[in-house]
Amino acid sequence: MRPTGDRMSEYSWKELMAIVFSREIEDTDKITSGAHTEIFFAATMLAQKTHAPNMKLQLGGGVALCNVVDQEVAELPKTSTGYELLRYCESVHDHPDTFITYGAPGGSRYYEPGSEFRNVNHFWFADKFFVGGIQADKYGNTNMIGLGTKDKMTFRGPGTIGINDIAVGVRDVYVFLTAHDKRRLVEKVDFISFPGKRICRENQFNGGGPKWMVTPKCIFDFDPDTLEARLAKLFPGSSVDDVRANTGFEVKVARKVETVAPPTREELEALRTEVDPTGVLRH
Amino acid sequence: MSKKRKEVVQSIKDAAAQIKDGMAIAVGGFGADNHPMALIREIIRNGTKNLTVVASATAGLEVDLLIGAGCVKKLVAPYVGLEMFCPIGHNYRKYVESKQIEVWECSEYILYAGLFAAASGQEFFAWRGGVGTSIPELNRDLVEFVDPIGKSKKVLAVPPIRVDWALIHVGWADVYGNGQHVGMRFGDRWLARAANRIMLQTERVVPNTVIRRNPIMTTIAYADSVVEVPYGGHPYAAHGFYKEDEEAIRDYVKASEANRKGDTATWEDYLKRHVYGPADHYSYLDTVGIKKLLGLYTHPIVSW
Repeated sequence: MRPTGDRMSEYSWKELMAIVFSREIEDTDKITSGAHTEIFFAATMLAQKTHAPNMKLQLGGGVALCNVVDQEVAELPKTSTGYELLRYCESVHDHPDTFITYGAPGGSRYYEPGSEFRNVNHFWFADKFFVGGIQADKYGNTNMIGLGTKDKMTFRGPGTIGINDIAVGVRDVYVFLTAHDKRRLVEKVDFISFPGKRICRENQFNGGGPKWMVTPKCIFDFDPDTLEARLAKLFPGSSVDDVRANTGFEVKVARKVETVAPPTREELEALRTEVDPTGVLRH
Repeated sequence: MSKKRKEVVQSIKDAAAQIKDGMAIAVGGFGADNHPMALIREIIRNGTKNLTVVASATAGLEVDLLIGAGCVKKLVAPYVGLEMFCPIGHNYRKYVESKQIEVWECSEYILYAGLFAAASGQEFFAWRGGVGTSIPELNRDLVEFVDPIGKSKKVLAVPPIRVDWALIHVGWADVYGNGQHVGMRFGDRWLARAANRIMLQTERVVPNTVIRRNPIMTTIAYADSVVEVPYGGHPYAAHGFYKEDEEAIRDYVKASEANRKGDTATWEDYLKRHVYGPADHYSYLDTVGIKKLLGLYTHPIVSW
């Protein structure tokens, strides 16, 4: 929160995240948004309402294909599986369908140039997806399984859910960590639940692995040669030194590091009036 | 030879008694929705032990309850938690970290691949997801092989996941075991299809004519057992009927967190209040209270 009296220049961290992800979304995208709802549901719904009305959107494990362009969103959904999601959707599938029948191919922007045909050899069941992690390392490998070793797991994480399944078939994955410290950003993860760019390439996956790793302090992208994370953007209020001091691997820095633009008045107003009228993201 | 069709409606006691020690059960629903909670509470009251639990692709805290009540030996689950309410199930953490239960490590689609293999009588289903992760190291039943067609890419062979009984919550079902989901179906059809027997917990038993009015809606046909339990999904939501009871879920999260941290008395008290204390499902609903239950009503969004 920035300490100012003007309501539209104050925003919460969750609102900032929703707006940053929304800016990434394009009209030709096909997007899947899984559990841990609120930020990504807001980002995707906001994108459909502001600049990506044709974006194909799957919300949650109920495989609800949603378009909210002309639908009123009375309240941001609190879970990713609720009955209320049926208000926004045009099509509902069995959950396994997300990986097979609903999926191929990806958004039209990524078809063969000049081709009007869907190309299933470009198998992306979504163009963008958001994943979390209890740990992430410099290659963008993330860990939802646990801490410790196979024989002695000292901390049991929630499980991989489907993020490794998504690695094989999503073009760009956004890794999202809710805190930035040396316990989370490590040299090497204890277990790999979602493979980073290097492993994705070695295994010839259609999916490209992580595009960004986003933390409350910064955004890492990946060096196209070494496939290692590099600091690309800073959030307002953080610095390169701050990131270095709180990261468990040696931080490489992109040639040009930008500061992420804070939400504009228009962006915040659209978020608050059209997608999150009850202020779920404000708290 | 009688011309009368066989009816499969059972009391909850008779139905749950068929779940024996050491069986493999699949538990339907997803996240905070459509879990067969009344059946789960009855299974716990029966003191059933050593179950293999095949969870839904995103298990909520229904599986966590079975673990905390000491019913589970082995767990097949890609996730146990409940989003904003509880990112990781507390009993799940406690029992896995102390090695009191075994986890068959998998992901959502590896789970489905195993269910497909069981459902279709195949030796395995192949899937590329999971290659390059720690899952095959943690689960030696998954076998990595090289694609025999293209001869370059690694693939996982996922063996069948065997299930004795699938426990599935539906909106309504008839006496012949035809069940209809009246909202999202999640992975329920596949949990059911992989199982040897299907037990439906239904909000309402409806006349067969209701089923015939829209057979396209029948998601699970010819279940072996149908149990009528209105509000049987509480404290979780049942699509088309009621939403989740946030207060009751937070109560569960608090008690299970206490248990993880060693305060077993708080957890035992929870089980006494919500599982062992009430003699049956309706006594359980009495503890929730009519005002609370009616307040959870959701108006139907879709029609049939």
